[in-house]
Amino acid sequence: MCRIIFVREKKEIQVPEGTTVLEAEIRAGLAPDAPCGGHGICGKCLVRILSQKDGDRADAPGSLVRACRTEVRSDLWVDTCTDPEQEHVILTEGFTRPVPCQPDLMVHLVRLTKPEPGEKRSDWERLLLALQAAGGPEPSWVRPDPVLASSLYERRQEAAEWWVIHTKTQILDLRREPGKQYLAAFDIGTTTVAGYLLDAGDGSQTAVVSRMNPQAQYGADVIARANYALTNGTEPLSRCIRELIRQMLEQLAAEAGVRTEEIFQVSVAGNTCMHHLFLGISPASLVHAPYTPALRQSLVLSAAEYGLGIHPRGQLRVLPDIAGYVGADTCGCLLALRPDQRPEVTLLLDIGTNGEMVLGNRDRLIACSTAAGPAFEGARIECGMRGAAGAVDHVSFENGIWHYTTVGGQPAAGLCGSGLIDLVACLLRAGLIDESGTLASGQEDPRVFMLAPPGESAREAGVYLTQKDIREVQLAKAAIAAGISLLMEELGISEDEVACVWLAGAFGNYMDPASAAEIGMLPKSLAARVQPVGNAAGQGAKIALLNREEWEQADALAEQVGFLELATLPTFQDCFVDELGF
Amino acid sequence: MEVLEALRKAVEEGHPGETENLVREALAQGVEPMRMVDEAMMPAMRTVGEHYKNQETDILRILAAARSIRKGFELIEEQGGSVSREKIGTVILGTVEGDLHDVGKNLVAIMFRSAGFKVIDLGVDISEKQFLRAVRETPDVSIVCISSLLSTTLPEMEQVVKSLRRNDPEKKYKIMVGGGAMNRQLAEHMGADAYTENCVEAAEVARTFIV
Repeated sequence: MCRIIFVREKKEIQVPEGTTVLEAEIRAGLAPDAPCGGHGICGKCLVRILSQKDGDRADAPGSLVRACRTEVRSDLWVDTCTDPEQEHVILTEGFTRPVPCQPDLMVHLVRLTKPEPGEKRSDWERLLLALQAAGGPEPSWVRPDPVLASSLYERRQEAAEWWVIHTKTQILDLRREPGKQYLAAFDIGTTTVAGYLLDAGDGSQTAVVSRMNPQAQYGADVIARANYALTNGTEPLSRCIRELIRQMLEQLAAEAGVRTEEIFQVSVAGNTCMHHLFLGISPASLVHAPYTPALRQSLVLSAAEYGLGIHPRGQLRVLPDIAGYVGADTCGCLLALRPDQRPEVTLLLDIGTNGEMVLGNRDRLIACSTAAGPAFEGARIECGMRGAAGAVDHVSFENGIWHYTTVGGQPAAGLCGSGLIDLVACLLRAGLIDESGTLASGQEDPRVFMLAPPGESAREAGVYLTQKDIREVQLAKAAIAAGISLLMEELGISEDEVACVWLAGAFGNYMDPASAAEIGMLPKSLAARVQPVGNAAGQGAKIALLNREEWEQADALAEQVGFLELATLPTFQDCFVDELGF
Repeated sequence: MEVLEALRKAVEEGHPGETENLVREALAQGVEPMRMVDEAMMPAMRTVGEHYKNQETDILRILAAARSIRKGFELIEEQGGSVSREKIGTVILGTVEGDLHDVGKNLVAIMFRSAGFKVIDLGVDISEKQFLRAVRETPDVSIVCISSLLSTTLPEMEQVVKSLRRNDPEKKYKIMVGGGAMNRQLAEHMGADAYTENCVEAAEVARTFIV
């Protein structure tokens, strides 16, 4: 065994010789960032190995190595080079469609009476009849609960009047006082997770919490994680996301000043892979052609079985998936926006690693998923990063002057998605990129455009854009543009007929639609009709809890949306190639 | 010949529409389809490939050139012409079972064609059995190429390579692998004869296999 000491986090663990530093970080609970899943490809898990005598100094000089490729051979002092205080900007706000607060969580006062002599009906049946008389559901809908039934005799002895907390099909609790009930909605993204606590009484939001998805230690994208699950089982991934949700529920309750037992329902929306991994379903079917989910419909499950730590009879409600790569998060977006109720045609775009989109109106809705790649999330871009402190988020070029802003106003540390497309749009405008995407030969190195030189940047080599980065942007934007164009073709409509473009997700919220149109990710005429809708998936997860009719319609909505598989569409490749240029 | 020179340029620059116009014009002038292929389109593809290798151009240009060639071929065949001829060897290729991605595989097919191979493209989501059947039905096959983009299909890839290897104790054909999920190390481990990082190299390596 070797000791490994993480000086920055002040943590020490023992690991067998031959363990990689990345595995050691995971075991120590540091949730390191490993976008490629520890395969030694991305070079983003760099750590500094400190010599033993400098071990107590975090800034000691030492060699930078890839944690996933470095095996522990002796006691080691390691600087993870990660600032534990670093805050990522996670989008939690979203466009809210007002829905009446009518959750499938009701409270009624009933009288538990002593049975008459000769009475045949059980205590349970009499409870249900009393509940129906008080305005509760039809007794035959309600699932019998032996544990609750066994408490009815004693409760009847204790008092006659009880408040019953129930759904349409399940009794969750009996109490002397009505108390308060809370609901918690989650949007589980590949990168970030957002959680919201709602008061079931009036629908008001009482707390919001967001965290990074700890599954990132097993890979940045869904394919890397699926790979990990297929090799090592889904259990480690399921456990870590459920544990995160449990912690977030605790944090939500603490912030709102309530007890976790007062939370009765949790809803979850996520892409199909996050959905499967959270539920402990193998993603094998998802990542092998023709890419179908193992389970798709909405689910009502016992929260306790998933270790969520809310009320012991609390429910976990999972929104339905639409198709293989169009998940419950898209279904959440649809619930938040309900394009199926509108006469005018709308386009919903959710751009992450995959770009999911839904086009149509109340007559017909059709969805597709394009492999946009992680470029807009900072991966595969040399100076790419997520939207954390120091990320260049906007770039402008006017009258020959370059200007940029960063998250938190800190020295530039890298480019996030919105900054990346601004920069490419500006380079086009400045004539430094031609229509084929080739960078004009410039100063000393023709294949690089320096935005923030080393002196003014937090990055040693400065923040710049390479020719290869531009190619990545071209591939990503062409995939999205081709998806939009093929959806329009499928529905037989033109750009002019699209009344509104809803941009969901963090990238959509921060990006400049004009830049997106300038680089050809969106048709030019649509730029003026863009409306950012923020975390619409999270809003949909809330709506699913706040209004029982909306929840009941979720499956029908998911079913109603048609699916266009681009990979098997003969025209896709031509369309994609057409969209590659600027 | 002016029209052939213009055609070569159109393919090299990746203009599919222009390519079609020029093919039409050449046909009207009575130019033999094979001359268009041999003297304009294939040399253009080789030039683009050469530029790519020297990092003077990139994959996008290859995609555009490939598309132009395909448009040209389609038009010629539509007009009753033929673009086939004596080939230096036969290649079977396909994307492995579980994967539907074929942009890269299609580029490899184009580069092989321009290098003078007869290409049997099995398509995407091709099972071990389908590969074996194709090999059985093609006695003159010299190379089998298998592609995979999603790393989740690597086990299938390994299965196909091993099975093809077992099927061919006399080593009558070579096995080449490629695609986003592959690398040299994996290819060697699986027992493939070659791995190349891109479509241009693939065609070059393939030529060295033909004696």
